[in-house]
Amino acid sequence: MNYFLLFIEFFKIGIFSFGGGYATLPFLYHISDAYHWFSYEELSTMLAVSSITPGPVGLNVATFAGFKTLGITGSIDATLAIMIPSFIIVVLISKILKKFKDNFYTKSVLYALRPAAAGMIAAVGVRLFKSSIMPGGFNIQLFDFKGFILFILLVLISLKLKKDPLVYLLIGAFFGLLLHFEHIIGLFA
Amino acid sequence: MKPKLIDMFLAFLKIGALLLGGGYVIVPLLNNELVDKRCWTTKEEVIDFYAMGQCVPGIIAVNTTLFIGYKLRGKTGALAAFFGLILPPFLAIILLASILIKMSQNLIMGDIFWGVNISIIILMFLTVKEVWKTSIVDRFTLLIFISTLVLSAFGVSPSISIIAFAIFGIAYNLIQKKIKGGNA
Repeated sequence: MNYFLLFIEFFKIGIFSFGGGYATLPFLYHISDAYHWFSYEELSTMLAVSSITPGPVGLNVATFAGFKTLGITGSIDATLAIMIPSFIIVVLISKILKKFKDNFYTKSVLYALRPAAAGMIAAVGVRLFKSSIMPGGFNIQLFDFKGFILFILLVLISLKLKKDPLVYLLIGAFFGLLLHFEHIIGLFA
Repeated sequence: MKPKLIDMFLAFLKIGALLLGGGYVIVPLLNNELVDKRCWTTKEEVIDFYAMGQCVPGIIAVNTTLFIGYKLRGKTGALAAFFGLILPPFLAIILLASILIKMSQNLIMGDIFWGVNISIIILMFLTVKEVWKTSIVDRFTLLIFISTLVLSAFGVSPSISIIAFAIFGIAYNLIQKKIKGGNA
């Protein structure tokens, strides 16, 4: 494990991630598979922390993953590696913005990459669903019923409620406490 | 008059500190700070840059920031804006990260993280749902969606998938163009 490899891997995220928000996650899971710098479980904690700290979630998770791998210098390394491709592209195309946007090749690439990014994010969602709600696969004893109830509840809320991710995170945190109320009672017992 | 670099840095520092939730939150923040307060740009331009930020790879909020920074003061402007934007989240991660990780081992904090994690799953599916209308527009794009879903499940490198589908996209559209051209 070294700074160069970390840089290359995060540079790749900068070049190949489309779709914003959670688009960096498929890459981070892949890094976890390939190099074992951090486990899936650590990644999921990092994701939770990144969601409740300011800044773009995708970048925060990457900074965090760099930090986890090689400390503060690792996080600087990772953050810069992700940003450099964007910087180069912005400098290159800023002057020809309109032309670039209406270009046949740009359109064709985006036409294919939008659904690809959506598919990858959906895959991460499925993966997280499996790891947090059914960690034992179809083994019913390990099935997290409380998690499943919260999941269904949030789905129902999402049908009524619009957008703001913060609201979902707060509801999740609140029900996290409520559904494990015995822990709070335990504090006072 | 061009804004000073330090002012740009500070304006984006504020935006970075207030950027909570999804990346699109950056649009109202940019409007408030850069358009209403400082008159550096217009709301139309902010929306245009945000749209462009989605057309290039990388983090959308970072791309949007780089575009605006570059427009205001060239390369150094882009860098000043970028470092302003990422400094608050960067410090938050470095300083809070280890504390929060430790706290997650606490039973009660663990419950909160448990709930947050489940919310994140919903947020991911909502992201997919949100982009569905503009992304999955025909059978070809549906096929790409399903293929990446399956490929990811089998652990295929996302970089490889992205390169492959970019090429497919170009090839498919070139063929379509030819067919249409042939008919005309």
